[in-house]
Amino acid sequence: MANKAGDPVEGVERPARVPNGCPVVHLDVSPTLEVGSYWHKADELRETGQIFFNTMAQGYWMFTRYDEVREIYQHPELFSSESITPWDPEPAYRFVPTQIDPPEHSKYRQLLSRWFAPAAVNEASPAARAICQRLVAQVAPRGGCDFVAEFAMRFPTEVFLTVIGLPASDADLFVPWVEDFFRGFGGDVAQQEAMGQALAAMRQYWVDALETRRGEPVRREGDLASHLLHATLDGEPLDEAVILDILTVLVLAGLDTTRGELGYLFRHLATHPDDRHRLVAEPELIPSAVEETLRLYTIIFGDGRKVARDVEFHGCPLRKGDMVYGLVAGANRDPRVYDRADEFVLGRTANNHLGFAAGPHRCLGAHLARRVMQIAVEEWLKVIPDFRVATDAPLVERGGGSMMTLLALPLAWEATS
Amino acid sequence: MKITVHGDRCTGHGRCYGLAPGFLAYDDEGFVTIRDQIVDVPAGQTAASREAARTCPEQAIELLDD
Repeated sequence: MANKAGDPVEGVERPARVPNGCPVVHLDVSPTLEVGSYWHKADELRETGQIFFNTMAQGYWMFTRYDEVREIYQHPELFSSESITPWDPEPAYRFVPTQIDPPEHSKYRQLLSRWFAPAAVNEASPAARAICQRLVAQVAPRGGCDFVAEFAMRFPTEVFLTVIGLPASDADLFVPWVEDFFRGFGGDVAQQEAMGQALAAMRQYWVDALETRRGEPVRREGDLASHLLHATLDGEPLDEAVILDILTVLVLAGLDTTRGELGYLFRHLATHPDDRHRLVAEPELIPSAVEETLRLYTIIFGDGRKVARDVEFHGCPLRKGDMVYGLVAGANRDPRVYDRADEFVLGRTANNHLGFAAGPHRCLGAHLARRVMQIAVEEWLKVIPDFRVATDAPLVERGGGSMMTLLALPLAWEATS
Repeated sequence: MKITVHGDRCTGHGRCYGLAPGFLAYDDEGFVTIRDQIVDVPAGQTAASREAARTCPEQAIELLDD
C-alpha cells in the first residue's frame, strides 16, 4: 500500500486547514492486494490515530474508530449520502435510496423494506435452501472447486433474483455486469469504461423489463419491478428514472456483497478446522459465525459521506462539501469496543458490528444476507464437512474502495460419490 | 425490569429479536414491535434482553430497573 500512516508524504503538502495533530497520508484504496491487507491497514491507521487526512483525489478526512464511524452514520443531517465515495464527490450515478437523505429517504425505504424484511426472508428460505443444495451437489463429487466462481457468485445471485421475481437463470447476465461495475467503483481509473458499460447494460435490462410490465393493469405478484411501476410516493407514481436507479442499486448491493462475505467465511472455515468441527457439532452457533464474519472480515473498508454544513467534528474543521470516510474495517476491529478484537470468536456476545452500516442507511438486505450465509454453511457442512484451501499461492482480494472480495478461493476435499 | 426501544434510533437491524426470539417480535417491515413502548421483561428473558441491548448497533435499547 502507498505508505505507512504518519510517514511524511513526498510531494504532498499538508492542506492549510488540516490541524497539526491530524496526520496526512496518501493512501490509494483501489489496488488488488493479498488477502487481509486492507484490514491490517485499517488496524494500523486506527492504532496510529483517530483521524487522518488522505490526499488522494481532492483529499478527504478518514475517521478510524468505532465511535466516530457510528456517529457519522447516525447523523445524516451533517453527513449527507449525496456521495458515498470520498474520492468522487460528484458521482455519475445516483443510487436510490442509498444516496437520498432523510426525510425523503424513508419514503423510498418504505416501498422496499417489506421485500427484504424477516417475513419475506422466511418465505424465500425453502427456495434458497433448494438452490444451495443443488449448487453443493454439483461440486461435491468433484473434490474441489473455485468457491468464489462456482458457489459464492451463484448462490446469493440466484436467491436475490428469486426474491425479486426474476428468473434465477438471469444470474448468467448479472454476474459479469456486477463484476465489471465494481472493478471501477473503487476508484481504479483504468476500469471506468468497463464500469460505465456494465452500468449501461444493466440499465438496458431494466428498461426492457419495465417495458414488458408497463401498462399491465394488475401488478405481478412477487415481482419487484412490477411493484415499483404500481407504487406511489406522496400520491404520485414513481418517475421511471427513479425506478431504474432503485433496481440498479439493489442488484449491485444485493449480488456483490453476500458473495464477498461468503468468500471470507469459507476461507476461515477452510483454514480453521476447530471452528469448522464445532459448527458441525453445534450448528446453533452458525448465526454467531455469520456475525463474526461480518465483523472481523468486513468487506467494507470505509463508507463515504459528504459534509452538509461547516462543522467542527472531533477537532476537525469540516467544511460544507468536504468528504469524510468512516473506516468500517477500523471500527469493527476496534479493541476499544471488542475483547480479542482481532480474533474470530464463535459465540461472541455484544457483537454490535457496523458491517451493515448504522443509521437510516442500514443495509436493506441485511436479513436476507444473514440467512443466505447461514444456509450456505448449514448445507455445505452437511455434504462437505472437511475442506481446505487448495493452493499455497497467496489469495488476493479486490481493493477496499469497492467492497473487498476474494477474487478466487480454490478449495479441495475428499470427493463424495 | 422493563425494556424500551427508542424509535428515533432504531433502524431495524433485527439483532434484538434475533437474540430474544421468545420475547421480541418483528413487524412487516422488520422493526421490533415494541418501539417507543415500555414493556415488562418476562421471567427468563432478562439475560437475552441485556444481550440485545449490548448488541444493538444503534444503542436504541434501554433497560429500566424496577
